[in-house]
Amino acid sequence: MLLKSTHNEFIKIAAKPRSYLGLAAITVLVGVILFALKADGLSFISFVTASFEQTLSFEGNILNGNLVAFIILQMLIIHVPLLVALVTGDLVSGEAASGTIRMLATKPISRTQLLLSKFIAGGAYTFLIVLWLGFLAVIVGKFLFGNGDLMVLNSDGLVIHPQQDVGWRYLYGFAVAFLALLTVSSLSICLSCFSSNSIGPIVTTMAIIILFTIIGTLDVQVFDNIKPYLFTTHMASWRSFFEEPVPKSDILKSVFILIAHNILLLFISLYQFNKKDITS
Amino acid sequence: MKFKLKFLFFFLFSINAFSQNATDMIAQLQLKMNSIKDYSVAATIKSDIPLIKIFPVRATIYFKQKDKFRIVSKGIAILPKQGFMDISQLLSQNDSYSAIASGSELITGTQTQIITILPNSDTTDLILAKLWMDTANITIHKSQITTRSSGTVTIDYTYKTQLSYGLPDTMIFTVDVKKFKIPKGVATDINRSSTKENNPPAKTGKIYIQLSNYSINKGIDDAVFKK
Repeated sequence: MLLKSTHNEFIKIAAKPRSYLGLAAITVLVGVILFALKADGLSFISFVTASFEQTLSFEGNILNGNLVAFIILQMLIIHVPLLVALVTGDLVSGEAASGTIRMLATKPISRTQLLLSKFIAGGAYTFLIVLWLGFLAVIVGKFLFGNGDLMVLNSDGLVIHPQQDVGWRYLYGFAVAFLALLTVSSLSICLSCFSSNSIGPIVTTMAIIILFTIIGTLDVQVFDNIKPYLFTTHMASWRSFFEEPVPKSDILKSVFILIAHNILLLFISLYQFNKKDITS
Repeated sequence: MKFKLKFLFFFLFSINAFSQNATDMIAQLQLKMNSIKDYSVAATIKSDIPLIKIFPVRATIYFKQKDKFRIVSKGIAILPKQGFMDISQLLSQNDSYSAIASGSELITGTQTQIITILPNSDTTDLILAKLWMDTANITIHKSQITTRSSGTVTIDYTYKTQLSYGLPDTMIFTVDVKKFKIPKGVATDINRSSTKENNPPAKTGKIYIQLSNYSINKGIDDAVFKK
């Protein structure tokens, strides 16, 4: 029954025009970035390498597909949560607003299974978004700009990874990015359980992300104790795979916190949905 | 008065003799450099530069008289902006500098003559160059170039297989890294601050280049130098 319900949820997501909005937005945004980098990418890179190039010269193809993919991910991964919340934030509250949730509740499926199917469908949609972003950034990026070593700038300086050492970093990086976006999906579904209109959970999800991000960036001592537990602090953990050496313990900690958030949000959602009054 | 005149005469004579000696040595070095019409060589480049982490890179270096030079590498290679062509280019312009012999020094068991090169114009990028020359083999064992744009670059050379041509087997570049800065706002790792904040920043970095499989005066197509 769970599988059938999940299948129904997939159909519902596929039938909504806003589900394609995210994919279309990513396509347009990546297209614009690819065009800009193709047209004037070298000046963008020279902005990063300017202070080094007074003394050193960089030989080889710096503006390659791997760097382009990294730039795209860095730019877009902040905005993708909105595209995810746009669909997942509506999964429960949309049904409550339109009244279809009552009909759903009459089916021989428990509320727990019904909500789980929505979580699975939301997760699958998030995976599709990440997959599409990865395809456009890495595959199309490499097709247009060729392969090459990846030059990454982080807070400790420049790291240059050989091209044969980059593939697995993207793979694991995307996996952690998916986990971060899955947390956004879980949060918006959770908020959706408390609401009876579509817009509320989407806006609240974004407001929480913005608030937590601001708290995370504020260098104020009073927030130091809560910062490590905010999921937004760990949303950029995918970048850690591009450090040398890879900070495994930091990544594991981030993965653990993101999974803990997902489990917590799932249980809050189940509790709320099971006691939700859908008759009035 | 007589003593003072004698001293002045001796001083001027000495300077002229030192200058003559240095000019002769540079002329011999230029002769040796000019005997190389072209060469290609395989290079392994290893960098130890603060704020930059890079694995060793293999590349091929091409040179053709008079000033064609290109490094071809599959991956990204970091090289000093100065050092490869600067000395030969500088020495080829005889009237643009003054060379003065300024002592001798023992470098890894080889007696070298120090030659200081001063540009005749005060508007050039070059401020000062120093060459440690092995007078027996007419090779440069160490060079130090100070420019306005790149600071000071020191290069240590060792010779083995191509001593007769004066082409080195290893080159160790020591470069100034004091001006290196990470642009803020580009390193968008917002949740992580630098882990090296408490360490004093290093002032120099080193680039080690190992050269092997020289192919000298075999002819290189000009197309190789087009990027």
